[in-house]
Amino acid sequence: MAELRNVIVFTIGGVRYAVELRWVREVVSLGFVTGVPTAPSALGGVCNLHGAILPVLDVAVLLGGPPGPPARQGDGALVLETEEGLICALRVDQVDHVASLHESDGALIDASGRPLRLLDPTSLVRHALELVGSAGATITEPLA
Amino acid sequence: MTEGELDFDPEELAMLRQLFRTEAQDALDVVTARVLAAGSTRPSSDALTEMMRVTHTLKGAAGTVGLPAIVDLSHRLESAFAALGRDAIPWTPATADELVEITDGIRAYFDVAGEPAADALAARILDQIDQIARPDRRPESQPPPFVEPPPEPVLDPVAEGLAVPEPKAWLRVEPQRIDGLMSSAGELLFDRTRIERRVQLLRTLSRDLARTRQTLHDALGDTGVPSRSTLVATEADLAGQAALLAQTTAALLDEIEALRNTIGELQRGLTQIRMESARSLMTHAARTLRALRRATGVRVELRTIGEDTEFDKAVAEQLVDPITQLLRNAVAHGIEPPEERVGRGKPVTGTVTIRARQDGNLLVLELSDDGRGIDTAALRGRLVTTGQWSAARAQLADDAEILDALLGTGLSVRGDADELAGRGIGLGLVRQTVAKLGGEVEVSSTPGRGTTFSLRLPLSTALAHAMLFKVGGQVYAIPNVHVVDTTLVDAGATTKIVRHELLPVLRLELLLGHGLGSDRRPGVVVSFAGKSLVCTVDKIVGPREIIIKPLGPLLAPLTLYAGATISGSGKVQLILDPAQLVRRAHPDAPTTSLADPGSAPMVLAGRALVVDDSRAIREAMTSMLGREGWIVDVAEDGARALQMTRQLRYDLIVTDLEMPEVDGFDLIARLRKDERFQTTPIIIITSRANPEHRRRARELGVRALVAKPITRRKLLEALATKQ
Repeated sequence: MAELRNVIVFTIGGVRYAVELRWVREVVSLGFVTGVPTAPSALGGVCNLHGAILPVLDVAVLLGGPPGPPARQGDGALVLETEEGLICALRVDQVDHVASLHESDGALIDASGRPLRLLDPTSLVRHALELVGSAGATITEPLA
Repeated sequence: MTEGELDFDPEELAMLRQLFRTEAQDALDVVTARVLAAGSTRPSSDALTEMMRVTHTLKGAAGTVGLPAIVDLSHRLESAFAALGRDAIPWTPATADELVEITDGIRAYFDVAGEPAADALAARILDQIDQIARPDRRPESQPPPFVEPPPEPVLDPVAEGLAVPEPKAWLRVEPQRIDGLMSSAGELLFDRTRIERRVQLLRTLSRDLARTRQTLHDALGDTGVPSRSTLVATEADLAGQAALLAQTTAALLDEIEALRNTIGELQRGLTQIRMESARSLMTHAARTLRALRRATGVRVELRTIGEDTEFDKAVAEQLVDPITQLLRNAVAHGIEPPEERVGRGKPVTGTVTIRARQDGNLLVLELSDDGRGIDTAALRGRLVTTGQWSAARAQLADDAEILDALLGTGLSVRGDADELAGRGIGLGLVRQTVAKLGGEVEVSSTPGRGTTFSLRLPLSTALAHAMLFKVGGQVYAIPNVHVVDTTLVDAGATTKIVRHELLPVLRLELLLGHGLGSDRRPGVVVSFAGKSLVCTVDKIVGPREIIIKPLGPLLAPLTLYAGATISGSGKVQLILDPAQLVRRAHPDAPTTSLADPGSAPMVLAGRALVVDDSRAIREAMTSMLGREGWIVDVAEDGARALQMTRQLRYDLIVTDLEMPEVDGFDLIARLRKDERFQTTPIIIITSRANPEHRRRARELGVRALVAKPITRRKLLEALATKQ
């Protein structure tokens, strides 16, 4: 059965994705992006969001692809909140529109009949945590 | 059970017992509160269940820390609650009073544990419990006559040890500080009124200007040249208005300056509200020393200097434990017996001095005794004989390094009643506490003359002073308390002599992924836990006051960073963790883990999660698993464990069964549904294993079910069990 989803549709690297609106806290233009050496490439850097530290994630890496363009000041980003309440940002090329679309088997079809990939912030962030966790673990071992 | 059967060395056991004691107090408080709330009517089933649960936890933990009497008492009490719950025994009007007496009795037991009086007290409490649980008891039966009241619990810092109450979220502020803030706030209102008046004036002025312009406009609009008199009058108006404008602007600037000062005063006032003088800390120390003197008979006096030094209240509260520990240390190991002191020409009564002073942005707290000092030769020998250091390392190390080893958490100097015994763990905790506050501890000692511990801490916890520098185009920070100096490092140099000391060089540009710098470049000299190193940087920015922000759960696993701060222009700047930098340059430096470092490099077994609502059990398991090479995370209940397993993968789960909300089986069942944990070894630790439990454990693919109390042997067997 197709389910109706309220989503925000956006483009990263020419691919169109959607995220359910309930996970989206804000659409922002990124401030200065500070690189985090030793972090895995899924973490594009950190930003100041209202005085808190906001991690910026690279969707392409999290979905198993090569890294996308680095996140820079002025880039558009979606600030997402996961089920566990973790806050992070996804760098996007363009935010297209907000829509109510039908979902079937993890894919959405937009008004013009084109398929969209529905992203789940919670599982993306869990995956990011695993990647960061394993990077952290190798780093803590003392260098011989 | 004797202590010999336990798997902890004496210091560790003492620490675990302290933890257990705090925990037991909490459990007893729960019981007392529930009982008192119930009064003469039977508590609700929920309340009784909770009372059973906390007593049950108490039983499990007591066994692990080797207090069989408490195991017995809590077991009987738990049974009594169970019987009350199913109305097998009645709740009479006297029951509440009796239960309060029983919990008071158990509290009192901790004060006499190990003494001859303990057994008699335990027997009496058992009698009291039996009175409640007597099946022939009639509701109208009178409470048993009480033979003698339980001994008043004596506040004894030696026994209390580190079990000082958690810091409260309260601020006690002197009235005059509030008065100061009030007067600043009043000033602020005054400033506002003055500025508003100026703005009003400006508004009038702008209306006047508009009128003048209108006059000019009308004059120009008429045919022909405006009359000279009109122009002259208009010019005069304009001149007056321009003068007024200049005057008002100047006044406004002054008033804004005044406003800025008032805001500054407010800010300072608010910071000061958090500040407290060292006096209360010193008073606490004096009380502690008095109690120690009573308990040990050692003749010692306290001298305090710098009581008026002010620092953050949060810092002061956290310093209570370390100061208590250091005082115990001074009295137990520092001050010599009177005859020895006289022989050395010292006054019969020993002196412990606490001196507080401000050094720049740091608080320096020195605690010194005029005792025998620390025998570094003996300590050196002991480090080698206990296998913690190699003979070569001990030989190369200077006295300062040897003394510093005392502060290493892992150091536990074993041996019989030895003057050094017992120093290890306690002093390690001192360093840990101080490091948590962003500070440092140093120890110096002169044989025959005494020992001094110096604590250097930031005056405030919210604001930190940090050294900022650039690497690869980004600004990084290191807390100033750990920055000793700055220097220049030659290209390619791997060591650098700073203040006559040969220090290793850590190429930060390389560590932070920017390629090796080929030039002579600045270096920041970083020191942590007595180890120093030089970190090369692109450019030193200089010291700054920063506000430390947490990195959040996503970045927390990156241990290289201790946090971040946000620059004036809104950029995030990462704070490097000095402990991690030092570990990279000195791989053999003590870690902050409680695990015994041992002599051979440890084989990493994996990451384990220990889930138990008893802190004593969690600490005990952490220590045991740590020795087997596990990195151990702990969770106090199933819900927290689920949260943690969502974020990290674990190679071993050790869980209790009875916990609030999500219990052990619930946790295991949910984990087994998660594909990452379908085959993860799980060990259950419980004090209540019946066939039904075993059946469920088998169904859920649990590797082993271990009965509390946990011993090292049982744990090793469970770990070795194949599925």
